[in-house]
Amino acid sequence: MSAAGATRRRASLAIVAALLKPIAALAAAFALVAIILLGLGASPILVLAALVEGAFGNWLACTETIVKATPLVFTGLAIAVAFEGALWNIGAEGQLIMGALVAGAIGPMLGGWAHPIAVTAILAGGFAGGAMWGALAGWLKSARNVNEVISTLMLNFVAQQILSWAVHGPLIEPARAYPKSAPIAAAAELQLYFPPSRLNLGMALAAVLAVASFALLYRTTIGLQLRALGRNPRASRFFGLRIGWLTVGAMALSGGLAGLGGGVQVAAITHRLYESLSPGWGFEAIAVALLARLNPLGVVPCAILFGALDNGSQAMQRAAGVSPVLVQVIQALVILILLAFDAGLFAARRRESGAASTLAGAGFEEARDA
Amino acid sequence: MLRARAISKRFGAIRALEAVDFEAAPGEIHALLGENGAGKTTLMRILAGGLRPDAGAVTLDAVALRPGSPQAALRASVAAVHQSPMLFERLTWEENLALGGGTRTATAAHERAARLGFELPAPRTLVEDCALAERVRLELMLALSFEPRVLILDEPTGVLAPSEVTAFLALLRALRGQDRIVILVTHKLAEALAVADRVTVLRRGRLMASVAASQTSEAELARLMIGELPPAAAAPSSAPAAGGPPLELVDLTLDDRGRRILDRVALAVAPGEVVGIAGVEGNGQAELVEILAGAHKFTSGQVRAAGLAVIPQDRDLDGLVLTLAVWENLMLSRPLMKRFSRAGWLRRTAAIRFAGELIERFSIRAPDAHLPAGALSGGNRQRLAVARALADAPRAIVAHNPCRGLDLAATAEVCRLLAGFAAGGGAVLLISSDLDELLALSTRMYVMSAGRLRALGASEREPARLGVLMAGKWT
Repeated sequence: MSAAGATRRRASLAIVAALLKPIAALAAAFALVAIILLGLGASPILVLAALVEGAFGNWLACTETIVKATPLVFTGLAIAVAFEGALWNIGAEGQLIMGALVAGAIGPMLGGWAHPIAVTAILAGGFAGGAMWGALAGWLKSARNVNEVISTLMLNFVAQQILSWAVHGPLIEPARAYPKSAPIAAAAELQLYFPPSRLNLGMALAAVLAVASFALLYRTTIGLQLRALGRNPRASRFFGLRIGWLTVGAMALSGGLAGLGGGVQVAAITHRLYESLSPGWGFEAIAVALLARLNPLGVVPCAILFGALDNGSQAMQRAAGVSPVLVQVIQALVILILLAFDAGLFAARRRESGAASTLAGAGFEEARDA
Repeated sequence: MLRARAISKRFGAIRALEAVDFEAAPGEIHALLGENGAGKTTLMRILAGGLRPDAGAVTLDAVALRPGSPQAALRASVAAVHQSPMLFERLTWEENLALGGGTRTATAAHERAARLGFELPAPRTLVEDCALAERVRLELMLALSFEPRVLILDEPTGVLAPSEVTAFLALLRALRGQDRIVILVTHKLAEALAVADRVTVLRRGRLMASVAASQTSEAELARLMIGELPPAAAAPSSAPAAGGPPLELVDLTLDDRGRRILDRVALAVAPGEVVGIAGVEGNGQAELVEILAGAHKFTSGQVRAAGLAVIPQDRDLDGLVLTLAVWENLMLSRPLMKRFSRAGWLRRTAAIRFAGELIERFSIRAPDAHLPAGALSGGNRQRLAVARALADAPRAIVAHNPCRGLDLAATAEVCRLLAGFAAGGGAVLLISSDLDELLALSTRMYVMSAGRLRALGASEREPARLGVLMAGKWT
């Protein structure tokens, strides 16, 4: 009985530690930035206040933070699912673009359909576009042994070029004035619930998918197989796992999640395709997923944090005269400090037990299980 | 004179070497003999500075070598050629050789290769694209480019072609003529006797003998290497069940890049039997186990198996996922995953409870099933791998070196589990490089060499004969 109690205590301690660390990293990053700001002669308190005010100062700012975080949740989940299988998908950006492209291409044709059907179709199109792009990299890896880091990275450029070509050529608006596509049908638009706020169904869908991704990874046999493959591909052959199918499937799912993010963006926010559709969500998502320790449930708050930083950076510039680039510095510092924590923890454990196999990740595995 | 005094080395609970003395004089080829796991490679790595001994010291001409520093050993003129070549895979062979002493240019390399009678790979070939034999030759050239006074070679002839072996042995004699010390780590008795002046035999980390080659024989060396043999395990009393044996291999053949890895391997394991396959590693055992686990294709032949569970040889690399929880590792077997899932969903509570039961039944020392497998000790990790194999009542088990790296108590435990499984009507195929383990457990034995199997007659269960057969001399 007491042993079980101790286990539970240890597990809850692990959860606290898992939560505390990103928060401590965030605080440390702000402290470092404060030093830089003092050096520049700006008041760190003023800057931080402006940042928070911009992100959460009023109801409209809060909803805009949510809207800015939404694509980061989709792409962050894409990264988390792929990375758990040690598939280093650097191509969420391209997958998001391909998802948006398919959504933007079929969107104008959905006029005759009922709203729920049109919305389902445009979002399914987004998922399919990204899934195809992810599966392509997965197939290259499993069939031709092409390193997925390189293929997904390169496919980002291909996707961006296809989008540029599409909005200049076949998908250009009927007026042919600007490089943008025709607007999607009104039936396929995701409703904005509280205009002028741009709050829409996207974040709710993203949150549901976060729970679903968590369940897939930690509650299903496929998820266990994917995590086993990611942690020990050699042993996975002895377990009789279908490595090729797992690789293609996980990459398709990962790409599909990112593509769905693109589809939501088109259906809810832009309503049409532009050349510069994504400010780099697919790349920012890597930082989001790492900050969330690849836990899908953690992706949501981490994406909101990054969305808030993005959202607040404009107000920060206006109020405190500090470049919005500072926010990117903060985001980068959070990840670096977090990694430094892990390295330190790893070293301490190795010294203690002499067992290199007790990886730093073990604590988080426990936290997830509890 | 290279002298090692009272060298001891432990790896966890394993005593790899215990107070071993070793001496080699200039102008001498010294063979270091022993079975797999006898401590040969450990001693060699200590001599070459790659490992620091727990106790004892190495001196060269009465000057102590700094322990645990390959650089210091190299400066003191001790060079080593490893069993698995330690070259830079992503550099060309020319670049690798240029990192050595006297082969900075391709011309110099070709001159040296010509002097050694070696063939070099095509120009600008990456080491990762070179064949294993080519890599061993490159590493040997690299070692010789330092003009070492002591050259240590770990199983160098294993991957050389027969035509190259003759030239290679001649090269060793030439080096001896230059007053160098050549240490040849090997398990090949005939080779040791053919070329060495002195032979040192290790067995289970202890020094068995150090004798002049002229005053010993293959039979005596084999007896020293292998030791006294335990009595044969009793043959199964139960008659073979109807419906065919649980595991049968029919002319199983595997070709890989023009090499025949497995050559018409045929055997059947009946219920209650433990069939042992002895042999020096690298003769097709690893591929055979992979095929049986369904992880490797084969060229022709048939595997007939029902309810087969495989215990791969390296529990940490092949058997377990160390960062997954103990209970999750147990689910990484097809029958168990099927039993503890419904429509693709894991039945976590049931699986974790089952893991707890197995932990108890196999006395795995793990406080709870949520711990990552890597937090368990080596013996307990192996118990976990065995428990997973036995958990779903298989009809046959294939175990590859199941006791490798385990201490005596854990070894006895694993042997007891396997013997118990056979006694209960299971079929066991035991593939091992540990003769003691094989002889203690097997009811029938085969010897594997160059991908072929040869049945071992009852009268052949004696060390000298086994040693000769394992060296591939079947006549």
